[in-house]
Amino acid sequence: MRALLTAATGMMAMELNVQVISNNLANMTTTGYKRQRVEFQDLLYDHVSRIGTQTSTQGNILPVGIDIGSGVKTVGTPRLMTQGTLLQTGGSLDVAIRGDGFFKIQLPDGTFAYSRDGSFQMDQQGRIVTAQGNLVQPSITIPPNSTGLTISPQGQVSVIPQGSTTPTVLGQLILTRFINQAGLLSIGDNMYTETPASGTPQDGLPATDGAGDLQQGSLEQSNVDSVTEITNLIAAQRAYEMNSKVITAADQMLSTASNLMH
Amino acid sequence: MQNAVLVGLSREVALERELSVVANNIANMNTAGYKADGSLFEEYLSSRARGAETGSRVSFVQDRGIWHDMSGGSIEHTGNPLDAAISGQGFFVVQTPSGERYTRNGSFQLNADGILVTSDGYEVVGDGGPIRFQRNDRQIQISPDGTISVREGTSIQDSQRGKLRLVNFSDLQQLHKDGKSLFAAANGVQPQPVDTMTTVVQGSVEKSNVHAVVEMSRMIEITRSYAQVAAMLQQQADLGQASIDKLADVPA
Repeated sequence: MRALLTAATGMMAMELNVQVISNNLANMTTTGYKRQRVEFQDLLYDHVSRIGTQTSTQGNILPVGIDIGSGVKTVGTPRLMTQGTLLQTGGSLDVAIRGDGFFKIQLPDGTFAYSRDGSFQMDQQGRIVTAQGNLVQPSITIPPNSTGLTISPQGQVSVIPQGSTTPTVLGQLILTRFINQAGLLSIGDNMYTETPASGTPQDGLPATDGAGDLQQGSLEQSNVDSVTEITNLIAAQRAYEMNSKVITAADQMLSTASNLMH
Repeated sequence: MQNAVLVGLSREVALERELSVVANNIANMNTAGYKADGSLFEEYLSSRARGAETGSRVSFVQDRGIWHDMSGGSIEHTGNPLDAAISGQGFFVVQTPSGERYTRNGSFQLNADGILVTSDGYEVVGDGGPIRFQRNDRQIQISPDGTISVREGTSIQDSQRGKLRLVNFSDLQQLHKDGKSLFAAANGVQPQPVDTMTTVVQGSVEKSNVHAVVEMSRMIEITRSYAQVAAMLQQQADLGQASIDKLADVPA
């Protein structure tokens, strides 16, 4: 019976939905996390009698057809790249992006990854690195014993060196933009890499050409909204239950049919 | 007497198909832009079979077609600037390899070239062809009439990127489902422009219009009728059995 298989696709889809929702909820307080959602589509239809077919030689056509669907499938789990709220931390190396763009980060193998997580640190050589110790591009080294580290909204990093009273510019942070941010590949650790779907990375200065500006002393919170997630969770759980009821119903009908013979 | 069995059988086959339709509705309870289906049944008169005494004709049942419930689904706010829901009647137009298709699922994406596409990568049709964004576009705005405007780079002026094409049909039952949340029009059916009451809501997605309670009650109705018909078939079989037993019971 087709209904059994159709309901099974529904149960599998809802299981995946709950998985994605639980990952969103688990990352509710992850800096720079962007929530995912599952997109569903109906599966192919079996056109038992096709709409518009001729029913007589006089040109009468079927006004309605019989299209039996075969369930649901998942097309994708795109990330929603909306702005998260900014949390003031006061950390001089905490940087949040207000608007579009990603920090460019060099991975140990020399390739680049992109992240919205601006909770930076200094390594033993004074270079600005991420919490995992990956270099932030372009590499900026903070001289020892300098004070007054300032990151301007345009990304200029300056300090007051030891024994001086005037600030010196050390370097310039850049932001990378993608035409299709949802097409980036998540590699964990709050990082994404480029894919054919994301388009080529466009490096640029903060606050120019559509890129956002930077805010020192703040971190971008996750954009997960707990109420939305819980509502979706309830809906997914109920849908799962109803699909299981369809399986029970189909099973009952099959057992009725098989009990006819005795 | 055989007719009773066959009439019962026609009902059982139709019910099984109806359950498939209900199962598909329930499986797509969370599919954006999904429209629920319902089965249409009709009486099918047999040309030969007649009742022995009254001469009335024996009628079977058959499922003649599926109708689509084209009422609007609830609109869920997502906050994603590329999500668009249609309030009122109408469809977005999507260009697929097999021609134009129509959808109410407005969870759009951009592709690597900056063109507005569906989740499957099919281009969304605007009034002047595909809708293409530039690399430095930001603050995408979709107005209620479907016009898409952006702020380019650091400009504070809006620039237009196109207008979503919205269409409607005089008879919505002339559309058939093509999977992937898409509808296809029957041969010769031309899309019409939408009326002014139809608006586009940005940052929202239209949910499926399946009513869980309705589908559940339909499902109960299907299983119960199935059992009733099965009981009737059983009685017919018992009747046959009894008559064979009686008639064959020749006194020794």
